[in-house]
Amino acid sequence: MMWLTWRQFRAQAITAVAALAAFAIVLALTESHMASMYDSSGLTSCHGGTCAGLATTFLVQLSSGQGVSFLPVGANVYVLLYFLSVLVILVAPVITGIFWGAPLIARELEAGTFRLTWNQSVTRTRWLTVKLALIGVAAMAVAEAFSLLQAWWAAPIGKAVGLGGGASIFGEGRFGWFVFPSHGITPLGYAAFAFALGVTVGLLIRRPIPAMAATLAIFAVFQAVVPLWIRPNLFPTSQTTATIAASGANVSLRANPGLRLTASIVPGQPGAWIISSEGVNAAGQQVGTIPASCEQAVSDALSPHTGTTGASGGSTALDNCVASHGIRVAESYQPASHYWPLQFAETGFYLALALALSWYCFWRLNRRRS
Amino acid sequence: MTAVIETEGLGKRYHKLWALADCTLSIPAGHVVGLVGPNGAGKSTLINLATGMLAPSAGTIEVLGGRPAAGPAQLARVGYLAQDAPVYAGFSIADHLRLGAHLNPGWDADMARGRIDRLDLDLHQKAGKLSGGQRAQVALTLAVAKRPELLILDEPVASLDPLARREFLQDLMETVADQEVSVVLSSHLISDLERVCDYVIVLVNSRVRVAGPVDELLAAHQLLSGPRRDPASLPDGLEVISASHTDVQSTLLVRSSGPVLDPVWTVSGVGLEDLALAYMKQPAARSHHLEVLK
Repeated sequence: MMWLTWRQFRAQAITAVAALAAFAIVLALTESHMASMYDSSGLTSCHGGTCAGLATTFLVQLSSGQGVSFLPVGANVYVLLYFLSVLVILVAPVITGIFWGAPLIARELEAGTFRLTWNQSVTRTRWLTVKLALIGVAAMAVAEAFSLLQAWWAAPIGKAVGLGGGASIFGEGRFGWFVFPSHGITPLGYAAFAFALGVTVGLLIRRPIPAMAATLAIFAVFQAVVPLWIRPNLFPTSQTTATIAASGANVSLRANPGLRLTASIVPGQPGAWIISSEGVNAAGQQVGTIPASCEQAVSDALSPHTGTTGASGGSTALDNCVASHGIRVAESYQPASHYWPLQFAETGFYLALALALSWYCFWRLNRRRS
Repeated sequence: MTAVIETEGLGKRYHKLWALADCTLSIPAGHVVGLVGPNGAGKSTLINLATGMLAPSAGTIEVLGGRPAAGPAQLARVGYLAQDAPVYAGFSIADHLRLGAHLNPGWDADMARGRIDRLDLDLHQKAGKLSGGQRAQVALTLAVAKRPELLILDEPVASLDPLARREFLQDLMETVADQEVSVVLSSHLISDLERVCDYVIVLVNSRVRVAGPVDELLAAHQLLSGPRRDPASLPDGLEVISASHTDVQSTLLVRSSGPVLDPVWTVSGVGLEDLALAYMKQPAARSHHLEVLK
């Protein structure tokens, strides 16, 4: 069975190794320059409050491609590479699901070759066990290899963001929409799930091309639903209430007359993932509208002549007015210490789905037998 | 002699449609058995049930005394050449032999290699580039080189041209003559089976119409021709299988326990093809009334 699995898989395996090699070479060629920029940025020896400024300076330099003269792809080579490398990590699992998973059974069913293979002296259960194990592990290894390579390459960016810097697309913390699913162990879960999903859909649809399309569609739905509704709730959230200033929040002018506050800091919890924030009064009850006496501040901020709209689209006068009514910000968040528990929980969630789908495939293959 | 395939009330239903219903039969070992029947009689369904490709909806089936595809040992005992001889288009012939060697503990590498050489096939040729006849030969090599006790072939020659058909069947006969293997092959063309089978089963509407060793069946049937008369007036001991009439003459295919002595009839022997066709044509509820054909 090992021989047959390898014989049928070797072309895909070679493609995957070639893609990994190309990815590694491109990143390795640009890594030393980024590392030397980081070393000369002063971030290695900064203390306290100076670090955030230095980190932003470093990231601005990086995004503007300062000192880049070794590649002909333009000045913002690091922005491009960062974006593309994250994209590759996020797409690799579904690519293996589509091209390795979906045809695994569907192609045998379509070509009729299942009648040949399932009538050798090997049971269907063993046939599927070897195929799922070897190719599934390969899919997981490829996805994780992309992620580890990129994490090694992007380590200076991660450190600078961790010190409070931010510029261009280099602003996401570890819980960011793109950073969280492309690092840690989550690619393992996505790859296992996408592969098992492809195999199952192929078994049900029985034709490779429609099965590939269906695999892509279903996986995309999961990748949209899980970050929005499942990931924040994999662990119980923590709650805190802080002043508007302390939580780094602005009162949204667009929601006027509704009161909407978007916090950016959890006091005393650096690196926390803020899941929701809302205005509350001294008694802790939700406040849904901007106090009437602050209407003047709203119209001032919206007036093109007297407008004092800040960089983030808010109004300091309005923020102060709302704060003077005793309105504070109630935040719901996952502390930074929940990073690994959330990584394990999400990966476990996807691995469990992959196991359930695999079990279904075994059951379904054997149900055809007397 | 034990049965290679034994079914009892076997049925397979797709949604509401029965592809095979209430099929009870026993196929003895040590024969080359032809499974004959019109399209839709349930031959392929029966074969898929026998190889474990399908699970029955009703009844039971035993193959060599075991449950089809129950485990590696059972799989090793049955060689199967599926309809249209599926092979991996991207694999060379050598790859197919390697596949057989890796997946079958009883693999006879010398025999497999010898067959390919004898058929003058190039080991490095991709299976996708083979002709239909060559593909069937490669698939048959895989089925026989695992050294099965029972070889099942589903319409093995249906898609081959007449020359390839003859070569394939001849090669099949030489192969099984060397081994102690029972063979069941299905076809809707009796002329193909006539050359190779020594036992025949005629399946109509998933029911066994007639079954038995070819020589016994031929000995027990006669073609009678003579002046027109009602078949119902025939003496006891003669069963009319089919009858055709002109204005003046009747031609009857009869099954008889002894010689037909009535001098009115001209008695002649019957071929397997005519015999099988007669049974296939025969309606389920038999009519002995004289039909007037214009």
